[in-house]
Amino acid sequence: MLVIENCRLTWPDFTADYTLTVPAGHLCAVIGPSGGGKTTLLHMIAGFEVPESGTLTFDGQNLLPLEPAKRPAAIVFQDHNLFPHLSAAQNVALGLRPSLRLSADEKRLVSEMLDAVGLGGFEERRPGEMSGGQRQRVALARALVSGRPLILLDEPFSSLDPSLRRDMILLVDELRRKRPVTILMTIHTPEDVADVADQMAFVADGRVVASGKPADILSSALAPRIAAAVSDS
Amino acid sequence: MVLTLPHPGSLVAFAILGLVAGGFIALATVDGGTPALLSIGPYLGRVLAFSVIQALLSTLLSLVLGIGLALALARRRFPGRDVVLAILGTTMVMPTIVAVFAVFAVYGRSGWIAEGLAFLGWTEGFSIFGYPGILIAHVFLNGPFVARITLDGLNQVPAEHWRLAGALGFTPAQIFRHLDWPVLRAELPGVAGLIFLMCFKSFAIVLALGGGPSRSTLEVAIFEALKIDLDFGRVAWLALIQLAICLSMTALLHWAFTRPPVGHTIRSLVHRPDAKNGRLKVLDAVVLTVSALFIGPLAFSVLTGFRTLLAVIDADLLRAFVTSLTIASAAAILACLLAYALASAARRRRIVLRSPRMAAFYDILPDALLAVPPFALTAGLFLLIRRLGDPSTAGFILLPLINGLAAVPFAYRYVAPHLLTTEERYGRVAASLGLTGWSKLTIMDWPVLKKPLAAGFALAMALSFGDFGIIALFGGTELVTLPYLLYERLGAYRLDEASSIGLVIVLFAILLAHVSGRLSHAGD
Repeated sequence: MLVIENCRLTWPDFTADYTLTVPAGHLCAVIGPSGGGKTTLLHMIAGFEVPESGTLTFDGQNLLPLEPAKRPAAIVFQDHNLFPHLSAAQNVALGLRPSLRLSADEKRLVSEMLDAVGLGGFEERRPGEMSGGQRQRVALARALVSGRPLILLDEPFSSLDPSLRRDMILLVDELRRKRPVTILMTIHTPEDVADVADQMAFVADGRVVASGKPADILSSALAPRIAAAVSDS
Repeated sequence: MVLTLPHPGSLVAFAILGLVAGGFIALATVDGGTPALLSIGPYLGRVLAFSVIQALLSTLLSLVLGIGLALALARRRFPGRDVVLAILGTTMVMPTIVAVFAVFAVYGRSGWIAEGLAFLGWTEGFSIFGYPGILIAHVFLNGPFVARITLDGLNQVPAEHWRLAGALGFTPAQIFRHLDWPVLRAELPGVAGLIFLMCFKSFAIVLALGGGPSRSTLEVAIFEALKIDLDFGRVAWLALIQLAICLSMTALLHWAFTRPPVGHTIRSLVHRPDAKNGRLKVLDAVVLTVSALFIGPLAFSVLTGFRTLLAVIDADLLRAFVTSLTIASAAAILACLLAYALASAARRRRIVLRSPRMAAFYDILPDALLAVPPFALTAGLFLLIRRLGDPSTAGFILLPLINGLAAVPFAYRYVAPHLLTTEERYGRVAASLGLTGWSKLTIMDWPVLKKPLAAGFALAMALSFGDFGIIALFGGTELVTLPYLLYERLGAYRLDEASSIGLVIVLFAILLAHVSGRLSHAGD
């Protein structure tokens, strides 16, 4: 279980203060207006931002003293997830061994993971030779192959067209049902995840304004603010 | 039959080619023919060997210093880092003749180091003439250039990649392999080629610090053949060989090392994960200290000119300042007009006529001008002017003309991308409204172009203002520019006066370069 309690971050022009609990194995969709603090929330969990106060634990382990590499989290960004000079297989392999010196079993695991995201046979392709959706699948494969139990998806499919975006979300849902992972995914269009997410958190002005089942959140008094956030993005 | 006028850019391109060809033909035929290449063979071999060896060594040392400095600056944040970056930018626009002064002031017979050693009782002395002085000056000018280009490249690495490196637990070696090395591999061949080209063509530094005819680049050999021997045939051969080598290198650089476009990325400040590594901390401290000890004294030596600045302000200095300003302004206007004409022709070919190959011709032409030996072109044009009119006026015509042509590539880089973008965005609307010629320039192009054009103008002016090239041929009692005055003072070992003149040149060049930089980024 991911537990965030009163984690406070301050910049000259912005203050964030997060409290959120995500049960183990859940897919939590994080929605909200642009600039409201969704990405900052994920970066804080990943270790790129360090809160001045509060607690952050995952399965009882305090994450705050840990470097990003030591945290049980893997992250996928909206763009620039892949190193352009490495092949798809090498990019995935970074999730296992940054040295890229893989054993035979690990190489097989990389291939299996590419198969799992629908990219069997794409091992030797460079990012420049793949579509945006394929590149995001490779990034997803790397996050999953790392074996880390917490996956952070920071608007991973925003640049894709609506039908492809929906396909990718269904792929995430399918993959997480085969593995014991907890997922936090920031997203601009809540309706894309309403039927697959277990939980939805509305983040605005650096705070988790509300959190609960997607249907409850989308039909709550926040509905007009959510609609406004979607139209703004 | 309808006759259509050629595009002004095409006329400009043919005029430039005609000017260069005319100059070379005049040079090659002035004495009724050229000497056999074999007659200058051994001399040519020596000059070529020296040109190549000093250029290779200068390039190598500049790369070592620049890469080390860039990586150290990329990893470290410290008070005064912005000042260091500003100093690196300053050396990039420092005129070569001022760099020559700096080498004399620090490493010369009565320079700071010699004085320091004498204070310690070591009075043997050492000579900076030959390879030591040339390499110091070239590395002083080009090392910071490599550092800035590399640092800019490293800053283009997406923030997400640094975060991934942190999240995946990359070691410093893995960070170098996956993040630094791709940048270096993309940037350095082009930068190395450019530095090699500039050092291969080096004139003022080799002339002043070479220490004799045995240490000449082709450019200096051409100058000596003109100024001392008046051997136009030798000039023609040397110029042709230099042109062939430099054009080949320019073409290679264009063909092989075009930088890939940079995509949209998050540019927020990201701390590199390898900054915490203890060994790298020590390495960076050593690199920064060595760089500061090398660049610092040379850069600051010019500041000593403040002490005697008021004393050297006289009628000679003011006259030289006004002459430099006039020549630089005329050269900058010419460079901007030519760059605009060529860029608009390239745009028309690329977008309207869909002829990318012809467009590439206009793109390459400005860079090809860098390959033309200025002394040979000047001599050829001087011979033409001599046939047509009063040769005593040649300096006043040829100085702005040659300096203007030399600045075209830089002005072109400011103007061409903006013209292309404007056409892509508004070209169809302009065509549907019937906007052509002057109306297209004033309504469509000018609003977008005025800042890049002003930036190009300021940079072209800065380059021309500090140039010590053609003025070495025409300089004298009638025609004195500030760089020429500085060269005279250096030749007379009047270092105090030289430092003050150098200071004036550097301050003005920095001011212009700063204006250029501000204008080129305005509205981004």
